Amino acid sequence: MEELAGRLAALDPDAGAAVQVIAYFDRLVEGRAGLEALVRGAAVLSGCPARLVDEARQVRLRVEADGRRRDELGPVRPEWPSAPLIPGGAPAVWLERTGPRTVVDAMVLERTASAARHVLDRTRGRAPVHGPADDPALLETVLDPTAAEAARLHAARGLGLDPDGQARTIALRGGSQKQLSLSLASGERALVQPVPGPELPHEGRVGVGPSVPVLELPRSWSAARTALRFTAGGSDQDPGPRVVHADELGTLALLSAVVAPGIEPPPDVRALDHAAAAAPWLLPTLYAVITSPSLRTAATELNLHHSTLQDRLAHAESLLGWPVRTPQGRLRLQLALTARHLARNQV
Amino acid sequence: MTTTPPPFDPELAAALAVMGEQAPTTLLPEWIPMARGLGDDGPFELPTNEVLSRDGAFEVEERSVPGPEGAPDISLIICRPTSVPGPRPVVYHTHGGGMVLGNSRMGMDLTMEWAEELGLVVVSVEYRLAPEHPHPAPVEDCYAGLLWTAENAKDIGADPDRIILAGGSAGGGLAAALALLARDRNGPRAIGQMLLYPMLDDRNDTPSALQMAGLGIWDRTANDTGWTALLGEARGTADVSPYAAPARAEDLSGLPPAFIDVGSAETFRDEDVAYASRIWQAGGQAELHVWPGAFHGFDGLAPQAALSQDARAARVRWLHRLLGE
Repeated sequence: MEELAGRLAALDPDAGAAVQVIAYFDRLVEGRAGLEALVRGAAVLSGCPARLVDEARQVRLRVEADGRRRDELGPVRPEWPSAPLIPGGAPAVWLERTGPRTVVDAMVLERTASAARHVLDRTRGRAPVHGPADDPALLETVLDPTAAEAARLHAARGLGLDPDGQARTIALRGGSQKQLSLSLASGERALVQPVPGPELPHEGRVGVGPSVPVLELPRSWSAARTALRFTAGGSDQDPGPRVVHADELGTLALLSAVVAPGIEPPPDVRALDHAAAAAPWLLPTLYAVITSPSLRTAATELNLHHSTLQDRLAHAESLLGWPVRTPQGRLRLQLALTARHLARNQV
Repeated sequence: MTTTPPPFDPELAAALAVMGEQAPTTLLPEWIPMARGLGDDGPFELPTNEVLSRDGAFEVEERSVPGPEGAPDISLIICRPTSVPGPRPVVYHTHGGGMVLGNSRMGMDLTMEWAEELGLVVVSVEYRLAPEHPHPAPVEDCYAGLLWTAENAKDIGADPDRIILAGGSAGGGLAAALALLARDRNGPRAIGQMLLYPMLDDRNDTPSALQMAGLGIWDRTANDTGWTALLGEARGTADVSPYAAPARAEDLSGLPPAFIDVGSAETFRDEDVAYASRIWQAGGQAELHVWPGAFHGFDGLAPQAALSQDARAARVRWLHRLLGE
């Protein structure tokens, strides 16, 4: 009898069901129910399998919609609704269901995660890591290619990562300090996220490393740092992408080896800097041109009349000394703008 | 003595909170007509023949067979496994409902689970309900169906030497009464009696009945409603027959092996534990499970709960041992 699920499904999802979900979990918490009962509640109330995974405390359990425990943890699918144990953290509770998310799903996830967090804290000690101040050494270890494998796996668990799963690194400059991150002497910060996992940081410049097995995170980190050098602040003086994925750089990544701060920049970069000093509109205008499918859309984006843009580009061409409206000239411009980021951004 | 009730198991308490009015704690006599209507639709919908057939694993028929002497015919639901050659052991099922509610399809999801697992025939009897039909009508209807089942076992692919009496709640009480009746009338001897949280004692005054008043499912007031409907003025007096209230039987020897389960947080806890103890004291065989923090009928109302899963599994294991297969 899948009566509970049936009953809830029949209820008004916005009113009655939500109240019942709250009542159900309140009673579980009151009765000091264990983790399995919580996950079973999630499964039964939502009518689909539910799982809880807390790698840091080595908890993995899964319950099917009929209430039976069956810990066959296949890979997590990114489209499953999920909730973290702590706000902003990695997902820890999933409903194994695709399709539109309901109000009840969200409520079930929130209540399960919140109750599970308390049970975990009560029965298995507080999670080892709550912020960078707690143990940045774990991040350092997981990103260190010279650390022993066992040490890196231990550190990964401590960070809440599945040792058999995928993860990615993020190199970050600027933005808030909310997330667990390791600050490096060079000024950027390192983040590690499970994949699938939380969103990218919403602020600051972000270099995203490829998704890799946990033991290969040092490789992801090195790529993320490279990607970070291709980012820009986004101001008129520094137009460019705020977020760059290492995976999407392709051959451009090679450029990072030859252009760097402290090395004499290529002549085209110097020409750009020189021209930018003469015409403050130059950099944002050129950036719009290389990132827009046509000059017409570039003009719209810049809020300029098409003919005004043409005038500006003619001016830019005379300042730079090469055409920017031919395919070849456009490529040269693109490379120069990219090299300009590399010349300005720390290694 | 303290009246602090044992706490409900957390999962069962949560289910109870969600079910709310759909799983009422009590029953008053004037609510009986309304309560009877609940089975017709809604959450407690009873299994149709198609559901009982379990995708063709069983052939389901309803048969009208002779009732007790001078009484109307009774109807039996007969479910025969289609892929297991007979004769097979047969579960003779008496439904629950406090002697006042329900019909022969109630509780059949449980018996069909056993039947599918073990390849059993199931016969479920439609008996007349109190208060319109007080004692002995319900138990005599059940007994008439048992006689027919034993005598016609071959026709329905059943083995008359392997009858298991089974029922929950009032149906558990009826199953226990059938075991007593069959013993005393030299009727069909069952090989086992499966008594799920059985309703056995019309006196309704055990510590558990007092302790759980107003709590859980089928509290003392509901129990009073059921017994009074069945026995009228005689309830609680010395005149009550053991075939109405098996706890009244003075002799519990010579009965088929019993399986008895009950929740620690329900009215029937103490009378059911006492019944098992008295079977042992009489030299009989009984297996007793008291599920901690369980309310009456917990496994049906909250089948997903860990305790419910364990309780269901324990019954199937007992059947395996009883039947040696």
